[in-house]
Amino acid sequence: MSVPAEHLLFLAAALFAVGMLGFVVRRNVIVVLMCVELMLNAANLTFLAGSRLHSSSGSPSLQGPVFAIFVIAIAAAEAAVGLALVIALYRLRQSVDAEVASELRG
Amino acid sequence: MAELLFYLMAAGALACAAGVVLCTSPMASVLSLLGSLSALAVIYLLAGFQFLAAAQVLVYAGAILVLFLFVIMLLDMGKVRPAPVPEVLAGRRAVLAAVIAGLVLVVGLVSARATLTAVQAAPLAPRAPGEPAPLAATGIDRLELIAAQLFGRYSLAFEAASLLLLATMVAVIVLAKRQRGPAVPTTELPTALDSARGHSAEKVLEEARR
Amino acid sequence: MQPPSPTIAAWLWLIPLLPLAGSAVCGALHFAALRARRRDPAALGPFAPAAWIACAAIGASFALAVWGFAQLLGLPADSRVLASPAWDWIRAGALSVQVAMVLDPLSSTMTLVVTGVGFLIHVYSVGYMKGDPGFAKFFAYLNLFAFAMLVLVLASSLLGLFVGWEGVGLCSFLLIGFWYEKGWPAEAAQKAFVVNRIGDACFLIGTFLLVRLFGTLEIGAIGAGVGEILRDPAQAGQVAIAALLLFGGCCGKSAQFPLFTWLPDAMAGPTPVSALIHAATMVTAGIYLIVRLNPLFAASGDVMLAIAIVGALTALIGATTALAQRDIKKVLAYSTVSQLGYMFLALGAGAFASAIFHLVTHAFFKGLLFLGAGSVIHGMHDEQDMHRMGGLRRHMPVTWATFLAGAAALSGLPLFSGFMSKDAILAAAFHAGGIHYLLWGAGVIAAAFTAYYTWRMVALTFHGRERFDPAAVLPHESQRVMTVPLIVLAVLSVAGGVLGLPAVFGPLPNLIEGWLEPVLRPGDAVLLARKGGHEAHLSHAAEWALLALGSAVALYFAHRGFRGYLAGPERDERLERERPALAGFLGAAWKVDRFYYEHVVSPLRLVAFLVAVVVDQFAIDGLVNGAGALARGAGGTVRRMSDGSLKSYALWMGAGTVVIALLWMWS
Repeated sequence: MSVPAEHLLFLAAALFAVGMLGFVVRRNVIVVLMCVELMLNAANLTFLAGSRLHSSSGSPSLQGPVFAIFVIAIAAAEAAVGLALVIALYRLRQSVDAEVASELRG
Repeated sequence: MAELLFYLMAAGALACAAGVVLCTSPMASVLSLLGSLSALAVIYLLAGFQFLAAAQVLVYAGAILVLFLFVIMLLDMGKVRPAPVPEVLAGRRAVLAAVIAGLVLVVGLVSARATLTAVQAAPLAPRAPGEPAPLAATGIDRLELIAAQLFGRYSLAFEAASLLLLATMVAVIVLAKRQRGPAVPTTELPTALDSARGHSAEKVLEEARR
Repeated sequence: MQPPSPTIAAWLWLIPLLPLAGSAVCGALHFAALRARRRDPAALGPFAPAAWIACAAIGASFALAVWGFAQLLGLPADSRVLASPAWDWIRAGALSVQVAMVLDPLSSTMTLVVTGVGFLIHVYSVGYMKGDPGFAKFFAYLNLFAFAMLVLVLASSLLGLFVGWEGVGLCSFLLIGFWYEKGWPAEAAQKAFVVNRIGDACFLIGTFLLVRLFGTLEIGAIGAGVGEILRDPAQAGQVAIAALLLFGGCCGKSAQFPLFTWLPDAMAGPTPVSALIHAATMVTAGIYLIVRLNPLFAASGDVMLAIAIVGALTALIGATTALAQRDIKKVLAYSTVSQLGYMFLALGAGAFASAIFHLVTHAFFKGLLFLGAGSVIHGMHDEQDMHRMGGLRRHMPVTWATFLAGAAALSGLPLFSGFMSKDAILAAAFHAGGIHYLLWGAGVIAAAFTAYYTWRMVALTFHGRERFDPAAVLPHESQRVMTVPLIVLAVLSVAGGVLGLPAVFGPLPNLIEGWLEPVLRPGDAVLLARKGGHEAHLSHAAEWALLALGSAVALYFAHRGFRGYLAGPERDERLERERPALAGFLGAAWKVDRFYYEHVVSPLRLVAFLVAVVVDQFAIDGLVNGAGALARGAGGTVRRMSDGSLKSYALWMGAGTVVIALLWMWS
């Protein structure tokens, strides 16, 4: 495939931007976590694009994929912990709205 | 042909990402995310990262998203009436958020271009003059090479990651454990002052629950 | 010329240290008295011993001074120097300052005057200050002053001298403002200190120059090194500048024009203070300094001329102003200014021994006059205005008699001590020739005025009609502890002339000139060198003529002054009516003080106000308080960022990410 690597990076940037927008705007905490996953995926894509850039036919650059693997693992752990927190929050407040837990105001 | 597929998948990924952000029902957001992740997996495949494509589908789409679904169903989000767009923050905050996201996009794009001009701008299949493009066939991330890196050079990171997962498991169990008795609002949890006054924690909690 | 090698005498340190110890003990007694008074406000406290301790301390110093004098007499004339072991004070690179107490003829003379007259004044104060709640404090200060003055006089190094110089300034401040509760003494004390400070600044700069020129501050070394330095004309100019600056210090300390305005105000202090500090000792420190450094000053003719001119001018200002004063102490204050001017006139003419001679006789008769005035004030229950006195000789006979002796000496009536010393000065001025004739003339005019105002003072105070109600005021003679010192000083005022008999009086030698000759030899040599090597003496005829002129002037104007005011102060009132401008001009010391107030003090007050209010309050405090307000404001603004909402935290995180990314991009 001879798509220029630029376009991969553009896609990654766009995904990241959308993810960030959602992260900031949405009130439902679960959806916020999903947007975080989106951003992590965008990062993965960037790593892979970098790997493509720095590989030549005989010597593939493997830091990209390896790092992406770790990112996936970390993302999984983070999603799990985040959702556990959401459950705990729900138990306390009977809601997953980000605005209900604001005792630290001021 | 591959190019066409790539652009198609890219558009799909973006559309599904937008869907995650814009859908009112959390369930719909999860499904949109699934779509986005799948499109990305195809893109990985097209770019020659087979292992990563597989890992993406297995772990991300297969485990993480399922986890999301479980939690949504556990918390019975069906009860939460999907509010109209006002569920999304409106007003100044939204504008600010849009501005920031736009900036991020711009940054990403510009830096992408800058990186590429710095590094020798190469098409997806860099080739020495005269060499055919072999990558699509063998792929960049051949499993044995990845494994060699993972258990060789990055073995410390690997072990650390596994430790992290262990800790995560413990944390999740503790956090999500069902409490005995109904939840108590934080303002009525026992404090140091109570113990100073000689009240025991259990009695305070009981009081609060009543 | 090498200075003579001294004989070691470690006990010399006792001379200044005994009064210091006395001061400490009196101070302790004062604090004990304060504590006792806090418990029982009516008690005066245990300070009676202070009198004995203080008098004993200074009496012991006097005894030691006499002993030292006797020892010096036993030594051959050329090596009359006793020196104590030196104390290593400063070692800073090239500069090494050691202080030793040195007793040579000059410092011996000064020490005898300081401790002797000081002892008499201490005794007098026992009576004068009786009943004052600050009795012990007074003696502590007096002894402290004695310590400082003795250090000044005995120090071997210019820096040690300066320590004493500052010390006497401090004690002057403390003693002038002794009754600070009254208000104006505190202002007078401050004025004295500030004006002195101006002189001290000049003194310090002069000292810096001397260190640069000579590399040392040892007085002996400086004196010996002058000859060498003079060979280089550039350095000779610097020597002159240093001498001029030191003279500036003398102007401040010895109340010469233009820095004399503090002395009349200093009369706010108790009269023994005026007698001791502002007549006999502290104000003479300037003269002592110049005589001590006589080669340095003799080296520059211009500086000597400047000294002489300033001295003559001051003598004239003081004498004319004293004519128009009503307060008896103010008359004596301006008289002191005038007499100090005479001493500087002598110094400027090169007659160092005559200056010291006049210093000694002045200490006798001016101290006597001040103490007598104190006795009058004491007897008249704190009345100081002569227009309200009169006829006191009937009520205070001893005071009157001793006062007459002092007045005779001051006015220069023939054969009294003042006559001898003043004549010596005028003869020296006449002998110097050239422009000094003008200065001699000024001196003669001032002498005329001196006689006039002195006997005016006597007439207004002791003679004539009583201008007060005797039954209401009840003037009385003072106690014996006050009159005995008066008698002693009166004897000295009358007989002191024998110390310096002029050459024309036949075979009797001029004792003080011979005594001081070894100390003055270097300076005389320099003067001789400048004059071209020949020393002409005043002819006998000229000397007799001058003696006769001096006697005639003194007798005539004394007579005029006495007769003019025998009937009362009508002449003063007539002067004020007919020539108010003249009366104002004379009364306010040629308006010098007014000039300072308008052109120096008021602008400085304005600057001080500006700095205090505008700079300090607005700018600096504003800056400091503003910083605090800024921090508070910033904190308040930032506080609003943490509103507990996850969303806004997320927003801020996003914004931060963007900023970092932008920064990274553009780095």
